[in-house]
Amino acid sequence: MVLKAGYLPGIDDDAVEWQTLTYDRDGHAIEVSVPLLSNEQMQDLSERIKEASRQHLKSMTVSDITATIDAAIARLLDRNDTYRQQAEEYLPLITGYDAEMIRLGLTGYLKTFRQSELRRFIAEDFGNPKILDEFQPLPKGGYGKAYGPDLLAHIWAGNVPGIPLWSLISGLLVKAGNIGKVPSAEPLMASWFARIIAETDPMLGQCLAVVWWKGGDVDREQALLNQADLVVAYGNNDTLHQIRDRTPITTRCLTYSHKVSFGMVSKAALDTGKAWDVAHQVAYDIVRYDQQGCYSPHVFFVEQGGAVTPQEFAQYIANELDCFEEKFPRRTLTIEEASGVAAWRQSEEMKSFSEENASVMGDAGGAWSVAYSEAEEDLAPSGLNRTAKVIAVKQLDDVPARIAPYRAFLQTVGIAAAPEELHRLAEMLGAVGVTRISALEHMTAPEAGWHHDGRFNLLDLVTMTEVERSAETAAEAFSDYVD
Amino acid sequence: MKFDGKIVLVTGSSRGIGAAIAKAFAGEGATIIVNYVQNANAAEEVVSACKTAGGDAMAIQADVTSGEQIKALVDQTLMDFAKIDVVVNNAFKPYTFDPDNRKQFWDLEWQDYQDQLDGALFSTYTMCQAVLPALKKRTQGSIINMASDLVARPTIPYHDYTTAKSALIGFSRNLAMELGPLGIRVNCVAPGLVYPTDASRKTKERVKEMIIAQTPMRRIASPEDITGPVMFLASDWSRFMTGQTLYVDGGLVMK
Repeated sequence: MVLKAGYLPGIDDDAVEWQTLTYDRDGHAIEVSVPLLSNEQMQDLSERIKEASRQHLKSMTVSDITATIDAAIARLLDRNDTYRQQAEEYLPLITGYDAEMIRLGLTGYLKTFRQSELRRFIAEDFGNPKILDEFQPLPKGGYGKAYGPDLLAHIWAGNVPGIPLWSLISGLLVKAGNIGKVPSAEPLMASWFARIIAETDPMLGQCLAVVWWKGGDVDREQALLNQADLVVAYGNNDTLHQIRDRTPITTRCLTYSHKVSFGMVSKAALDTGKAWDVAHQVAYDIVRYDQQGCYSPHVFFVEQGGAVTPQEFAQYIANELDCFEEKFPRRTLTIEEASGVAAWRQSEEMKSFSEENASVMGDAGGAWSVAYSEAEEDLAPSGLNRTAKVIAVKQLDDVPARIAPYRAFLQTVGIAAAPEELHRLAEMLGAVGVTRISALEHMTAPEAGWHHDGRFNLLDLVTMTEVERSAETAAEAFSDYVD
Repeated sequence: MKFDGKIVLVTGSSRGIGAAIAKAFAGEGATIIVNYVQNANAAEEVVSACKTAGGDAMAIQADVTSGEQIKALVDQTLMDFAKIDVVVNNAFKPYTFDPDNRKQFWDLEWQDYQDQLDGALFSTYTMCQAVLPALKKRTQGSIINMASDLVARPTIPYHDYTTAKSALIGFSRNLAMELGPLGIRVNCVAPGLVYPTDASRKTKERVKEMIIAQTPMRRIASPEDITGPVMFLASDWSRFMTGQTLYVDGGLVMK
């Protein structure tokens, strides 16, 4: 079985070099062929996309675009649709994630792109969404219109299914032509989405493309960077540094780097009735996509003084992780991943020898681990792949000062606390650089229109053209009705 | 191994719980009769999995709602293996556990009940009649009938299905009384919601979460969770137990 990734409008498949990626997890081998464009083909594709974007996309209304995206997403939500069925069948084999987790995850994720949610998304960033369609009066005087770039280049990373859809859809909403580079870890979902868009609206299908090259192929990357009007890139700091350095100085480059997210549990949530429920939510955030997201938690700060102690709470989490292993088994780890887990466990076990009450729960060869500590530990990434640390604290109010040094890495905090605590903590967490606070169990599912890393997803993509008041006033003098 | 040399007949074992039971017995050295009605390929996959697991297996097609086909199934088994040690009555009339689209009582007709009674009770009755001469001859044997914890706690009122399973438990107790003096034991295993199986695939997350929240073990059963108690009741470890129903649902039902 060979699947085809990529989407290249206007380029004949036969004219392109194809490479084969092989995925072999648990004995189910699957092959995906991916297109490798020459520099000339990349340039040709870029010009084609830019032209289509200028000719077609820029003249569509935002309502037209959201309707098309909505129709495409509806197909991916429809379990009888062939694309959806392919996604359910092949994404588990490509990524190794449990099939049920992917099925449920896709539905939960994709429904945030329905039309009503897309409208909310746009309204978040543009008080008046019509500003993307035509010049609109501005509060300060004059008129303004927002323009998306003719060519937005996306360089995606990671293996969480569907993540590229965020920036791809953002690009379409601001009427940008798009070329996205898929990672080898999951090249299919963006490709399918692009094809569905093309089937839904062939003209819009001319305004986006999905390409591939092997990570680190500087030549091909440069070919796209040279053509782009705007670049959005994901990955680790080293990768992003290189991409930014090679982006022409006149081209803006937006980067999303790796983050560390964590949870906080107040003693108010630790009575004998609610503690289990909260532990269930915590475990779900840890299990979902095996902590591969920027919003996935690594550490939980748990307050002392509740009926259930932080140590008991850690044990509840351990049992919940064990139960989730039955429901959503962890994917088979690569050697690097497994050694990452082992190294983390080893270092946590070392600490437990010298520290009273510290412990590591879970078998060394098992599918999850929970470390527990009462020491004044700082925020540190876990070993990933269902490893988490519970740190007992006297009061949650002490936590923000402890995490302040890690400002550049902070993103989501999942909180279980009473309303007044929530708002007090939010003030303190925002001040040290946290950009998103969610309920536990929702950490890995940001709401529609969220501000990724605190940025304006759509607003960051556009430039404003303003007609100042002076131009309007001056024009009056030249009218034929002037007295 | 615990079941070396034992002949175990599992009805409806090409998929779901039945397939898990077949493979588990095979892992303990048993020879399994993999009964199926439609999916020959799936049955053959179970057969090869049984062999890989260390046992032996043979697939035999038979619709358990047909008296003639059950008789043929038992005859063929006895012809090939000369005896039967364990019978697991696991097959049932296809039923979709869909809480959102279930029939309410006033939508049900007697035929719905009749179909389920045929699937659960008539098939078990017929199977027991068919194997009994062979079991009696050796004055030993263990019959295990698959019920449901819905009998004790109809979390979702699947009237027709659960009523038939309730009848099956009553049937089993009477049969236990009758066969005890002959050295043959009859017990039931009553699983909670088992996911995933073809029958339970339409059960929504909301319902599963509701059940999990009330289950001490905090999760839903998998097909493999059911195999241990079935093998226990099939083995000599339970040699002084008959007429019992073991609930395998993580503690949702306690009795």
